[in-house]
Formats: sequence, structure tokens, C-alpha cells
Amino acid sequence: MPVGYSTPDARDTSRATSSVPDKCLFTNVVERFGNEVFRFCCQLTGNVVDADDLYQETLLKAFRAFDRLPLDANHRAWLYRIASNTFISDRRKMSRVQPISDGLAESLSASQTDQASALDARELLGEVETFVQALPPKQRVALVLRKHHEYGYAQIAEVLNSSEAAARANVHEALMKLRGAFAHRLEV
Amino acid sequence: MSDDDRQIERCNGTAREFCVATHPILTVDHPMSNPQSPPPLSEIAGQSGTDPCDVAEGAMPDLVFGDLSQNDEQWVRSHTLTCRYCAGILDSLEEVCSSLDACNDDICEQAARSVPAPHIAMGVPEARYGFSDSPVGDVLVAATDDGVCEISYLSNHDRYDILREIERRGFLVYEKPAAVQPAVDQLREYFAHQRKEFNLPLDLTGVTPFTRDVLTATYDIPYGKVKTYGDVAELIGKPRASRAVGNALGRNPIPVVIPCHRVVLSSGAMGWYTGGPEIKRTLLGIEGVRYSPAVADSSQATLTLG
Repeated sequence: MPVGYSTPDARDTSRATSSVPDKCLFTNVVERFGNEVFRFCCQLTGNVVDADDLYQETLLKAFRAFDRLPLDANHRAWLYRIASNTFISDRRKMSRVQPISDGLAESLSASQTDQASALDARELLGEVETFVQALPPKQRVALVLRKHHEYGYAQIAEVLNSSEAAARANVHEALMKLRGAFAHRLEV
Repeated sequence: MSDDDRQIERCNGTAREFCVATHPILTVDHPMSNPQSPPPLSEIAGQSGTDPCDVAEGAMPDLVFGDLSQNDEQWVRSHTLTCRYCAGILDSLEEVCSSLDACNDDICEQAARSVPAPHIAMGVPEARYGFSDSPVGDVLVAATDDGVCEISYLSNHDRYDILREIERRGFLVYEKPAAVQPAVDQLREYFAHQRKEFNLPLDLTGVTPFTRDVLTATYDIPYGKVKTYGDVAELIGKPRASRAVGNALGRNPIPVVIPCHRVVLSSGAMGWYTGGPEIKRTLLGIEGVRYSPAVADSSQATLTLG
């Protein structure tokens, strides 16, 4: 006898992908959205080890706050928001200890461009990934949501708690920075 | 009236709500559903003092994400045909996007291999639950690694409320009947008069110290015997706390196994029970303690030890 998602409230299957029934357990939410949230964590952090930490922190925060969540809340958006906020605040804390600034990342990729022709495509991908890691966290979140999760700017704005224009600017800025850093090598 | 019209009517909403419901892609922020769309790029670029290259470059991120309208995309693409500078930018942006895709594929592949199980990811213990039938209706049985943590009568408790309560104690709740099979077996034997003592580890996580004392004292009341709330209060060294004992027993998470049904009023009346007086009467009946059902208010039923 499964609980939660098979209650009569869930009969409207057309909305099942985005909405969840009023009465559901935390475990139902994780069963439903855990995989994609983990994937989101991987995309934000760029590696599985850090993603594990981010996923753990996200789920624990969600578990503790689950009681305070309104019954008709959008659990999926809520989890994305927790993951994004956690990622952003973790990066901020980390940058105090070990600064990862735009400047550093740019100089990093600039110094390596000299040997551009010697690098194969795989190494280049690794560098793109490193560069994306070094983007300011908000830009990183916005870019991942827009590029890999098909989020519209209104939804990104909701996750980042910013205006739609700021969400759009974050995505554009990230993309243009990437282009600036890699364009001349990608054309080879 | 067409079929679609009829369906819209059935939806009891506007045509647009119907479209959004049936075509999830048409979310509110989708350009097609945006009532005030911005002026076309060709118009903006045509204004005096505007550099068309600026307009084209500004629109390129939207173009690579597919956010531009068909006309705007056409305008940017035709502009790049005439402007090598802009063509270069667009090419490299598309390259950047495809290398982002490649990074993402790598990461997604890794992620798919290693999605951690929630209880491992979070370091939060699991509680597994299953169900058993009984003469007093269906019961939900849940157990953690440490032992049985919940037995609830489904006749008067909502399953969801019970499971949420277990989550509040800090457990991730999963339906795994096999994990509670020993408890279910012993309950069945008890209800079939084949068992007088339970041999199950118990988990009283989330229970306050006072309630824990009350439950521990109650646990030792033998099969077929009853004690009063005052007796239990004395057993835990708080002789004036009989009312608090009653409240604590009302919060017993593991009835039957912790036999709170064996605690009765000092008047000899049966007293209140978490699953209702009928269940208390039945349980005591199984153990040979008879309450006369003739008394209208069953909580006042008189005791005859049999």
C-alpha cells in the first residue's frame, strides 16, 4: 500500500510532473525528485564528491523544513531553490578561505591558452568545466538552470530571489564570459 | 461546438488555462503566452543611433537558448550573413554551448551512476513499515534498525499522519513489509491467543524521559493482569502523577507490545484508550480480563477479573 503519491488527490496525472499531492511524505518527495536534484548538484559543483556534500546539505535542510512547508507547495522548485541557495552560500564561505575570483579563472585559462593547439578536445572540456566552476555562483546557477534544466527567466528569478532582468543578465554574463575565454580556441 | 471547445468548457477555465494544462510547454514565461512581447529586433536595430551589431550581439544568448521569436532569430541570422564580426561571435557562442553540453553529458553520466540513497546521502536512519490485520482492525507496524518504533490502529488514525509523525522523529519512512515481519508474526500470535510475551527490540526515539519511564513500567505489567494509573505513577516514583501517567500512555507509540491497555482507572473502570474503548475491551478480553459491555459508557464499564 504505497502512501502519498497514490492517494486520490494524485488522480490528475496531467499535472503530476510538476505538482504533488497535498499529503505526501518527505520520502515521497525524495523518491520523485532526488535523482534530478542530485544531477543538478553535480552540474553546479562539477564533480560527484562535492555534489554528494551539496545533495546531503540540501536534503537535510529540506527534511528539517518540511513541516513548515505549505501543503500545496511545489516541492520540485523548493528543492532546486534550497540546492541553489546552499551552493551559493557555500561558495561564498569557501571564497573567504580560498578566493576563486573571475580574475583568477581568467588568468588561469589565459596562461594555458599558449599551448592551445597541443590540447585535445577532452582537456579543453575539462578547462571549460573549470572555468564554469569559477564563475560567480549566481551566474553558475542561472546558467545551469537555463542551459540544462530548461528553466525560463521567471523561474530562475524565483530560485535566485532576484528580478527576471537580473536572472537574464546572470545567464548572458556567464555565457559571454565563457565565449570571451574560449572563443579563439574553439574556432581552431 | 468542437471537441476542444467542449473540453475547455469542462475545464471550467479560460482557453489559455486549457492550453497550459494540456501543453505543459506553454508555461507563463514562454514567449507564446507573453501578452506584451517586446518590439521586433529589426525595428530596434533600425532606430537611428543604434548599432545593429550591438542589437545582434545582445540577442545572441537568447538565440542559442532558443528564446528568440522566429522573426528575431531570422533577423539575427541574416545580420550575421552580412557581418563577419557578428558571425564569429555567434559561431563561438554556439561552440561554447555545445561544449557545455558535452561537460553536462559527462557529469550526468557520473551522476546517473552514483545517485546516493537518501538515508546514506543524509545520514538519517530509516524506519520501515508494513501492515497487519487483527481482530481490532488493520494496524500499521514500523521498525528502525534499533527495533519496533510504531504500532498504530488504522481504524481511527490516518496512515499519512502516522508516517509524518515518524518522519518528525527524524526517520526516513519506507514501506518494507519484510522488515516488520517478525513483529507482525508475533502480533498475529498474540491475537490468536498463542503468545503472552513479546520478544521484540523497541525504539522509543522521540519519546520524552517521563513518558519513557511510564512506558517502561507499563511494559512489565504481566499478561492478563491490570494496574491502575496510580500504581504506575508509584512505580516510577511519582505517586501524584497519575493523570500525567494517563497522558503519557495516550502517547504510547507501541500499543499492544507496551501493554497500556493493562492500565485502568482506580475505580475499576476501564479508562480511556488510544485506539478507542472497544479495542481496549477486546485486548483485555483476549487476556481473560472481562469488562461488562452492558454499561452504556464503556469507559465506565466495571471490571471483573476472570
